[in-house]
Amino acid sequence: MIRGWTARLLGSATGLVYFFLYAPVLLLVVFSFSADRNVGRWGGFTLDWYREFGANAEVQDALRISLQVAVVSTLIATVLGTMAALALERFRFRGKKVFDALLYLPIIIPDVTMAVMMLLFFTWSLDLVDTVTGFTLRKGVGTVVVSHIAFNISFVSVVVRARLDGMDQTLEQAAADLYATRWQAFRHVTLPLILPGVLGGALLALTLSLDDVVVTQFASGPGSTTLPVFVFSLIRKGVTPLINAVSVVMLVISVLLVVLSLIAQRASSSDEPATE
Amino acid sequence: MSTPAVEFSGVTKRFGEVVAVDSVDLEIADGEFFALLGPSGCGKTTSLRMIAGLDLPSEGSLKIHGEEVGPLPPNKRPVNTVFQNYALFPHLTIADNVGFGLKMQKVDKAEIGRRVAEAIELVQLGGMERRKPTQLSGGQQQRVALARALVNRPRVLLLDEPLAALDLKLRQGMQNELKALQREVGITFVFVTHDQEEALSMADRIGVMGDAKLLQVGRPEEIYEQPVSRFVADFIGRSNFLPGTVAGDDAITLANGAAITGPTTGRSAGTAVDVSLRPERVRLEARGAAPADRPSIDGVVRTATFLGNAMVYSLGLDWLELEARIENRPSQARFAPGDEISVWWRDDAIAVVDGGR
Repeated sequence: MIRGWTARLLGSATGLVYFFLYAPVLLLVVFSFSADRNVGRWGGFTLDWYREFGANAEVQDALRISLQVAVVSTLIATVLGTMAALALERFRFRGKKVFDALLYLPIIIPDVTMAVMMLLFFTWSLDLVDTVTGFTLRKGVGTVVVSHIAFNISFVSVVVRARLDGMDQTLEQAAADLYATRWQAFRHVTLPLILPGVLGGALLALTLSLDDVVVTQFASGPGSTTLPVFVFSLIRKGVTPLINAVSVVMLVISVLLVVLSLIAQRASSSDEPATE
Repeated sequence: MSTPAVEFSGVTKRFGEVVAVDSVDLEIADGEFFALLGPSGCGKTTSLRMIAGLDLPSEGSLKIHGEEVGPLPPNKRPVNTVFQNYALFPHLTIADNVGFGLKMQKVDKAEIGRRVAEAIELVQLGGMERRKPTQLSGGQQQRVALARALVNRPRVLLLDEPLAALDLKLRQGMQNELKALQREVGITFVFVTHDQEEALSMADRIGVMGDAKLLQVGRPEEIYEQPVSRFVADFIGRSNFLPGTVAGDDAITLANGAAITGPTTGRSAGTAVDVSLRPERVRLEARGAAPADRPSIDGVVRTATFLGNAMVYSLGLDWLELEARIENRPSQARFAPGDEISVWWRDDAIAVVDGGR
């Protein structure tokens, strides 16, 4: 009797969780095809908003900048984050504990704080460059990229460290014993073994970069509006179903990234123990 | 005498405050099968790792074939290691694992292929080339680790507890195989073990380590028959220790007053010694039946344990307990707890070590 009740309770809780998770997604997708100008009122099927997405120069610029920022910041953050992870897991040096704690800071501090920090930093340092060298630099794509690298290094290094921590260090010693230089040992043994972690970290960084609004908004200048920032500004101007279409496109990109990272992990688990 | 394959002179290794290896002097001859034997934490693995270059000596000189290698990194040394957990690269096939060292040395592809095939043949793993390490059994992984090291034709092969991870049956088979392999390839093998039987049965010479020091180096028989200290006698096989004092040249008075003969090797009269007497060297007779011309000690059987091929007795002498192991032969008299007995031994059955603990 109690079992029946428990089962029913758990079942309906599960149902509610899925409802609140996916009903908005479903609504978003459905209304991105609605012909009515009011968001959330059905006016018949149309692909107009997707056409406008393709035709609207502002949206296209924002998408292009988003992708540029995401790719460049992810590449740099992945290299730097992996290096930081290696330093922390494989080497002993002065100030290691402090470095460790500082590296985690961007994960812990609120986005807004990070954003204000970035704003202050860029304003101050660009001024400094101006007075010292006479070059006038402005906030733009460059500063957005730098700010994304700044928070992504932390996430990449966390993911890579987890993988490094699980790796048997005698493998690196074996490589050295078999005449590998430090670089060869990294290239032929360490890197292939931590690659799933590096790829996972990179995909995480890519997603975070594509999604970020708060930090980006504070670090951006004219001509560096990313897609999420653009969507955010559309809401303030007055909402049209165009933002539904834009959101669906972003959703699809995110889902694709998640699927990619799953495939990457699947590929790496194929060299797990097979029974004899 | 030719140049030793490995030569330690006053080698010390410290990890912070801890002294892991304490001024060790050791020469390992070319072509020798040498065992470093000792309990865990005695410094034997650290010594091996210093030969490999995985740890660097804090003090002293370490030479491989006459060449100082003290500060050289592992990849610059003519030695290879078989690691305790094998440390096979999980992402590479067996053939790529075995060829790793040659590839790092930029040997050309055809040569690598030829030598890898040869090495895989040597350890009898033909047909496994395309498998991954996790698809092999423990014994097969062990062979891959051996092939991966031997393919580089090292001047010295280092083995860290090579058989510890195998089950008993496999271990005994591998002991014979390793020995045969060493004779076949003819290079110096240095292996570390805590298993005295393994060391006794495989090694040409053994170095016994205890508490960071090298205590004794010698052939297995020497170590077993003439241990230099109580620690060595106790660690290699089992032994009884009868306390006594030196009475004169090769004369010892036991604590119960019995005068016996044994090698005192220059110790002056009055020095406290322990007489090491192996259980299987104890001769056991019914009370009064011991040879009249030999010193004998009376006692009582406390326990008798039947082991199939032998009987093990615990004997109560008036001032200590003695263990005796008597081969189970048809003519051999058996004793039961409570029996009154006499024990004696031949003069050459004992070793004399420094007394006290």
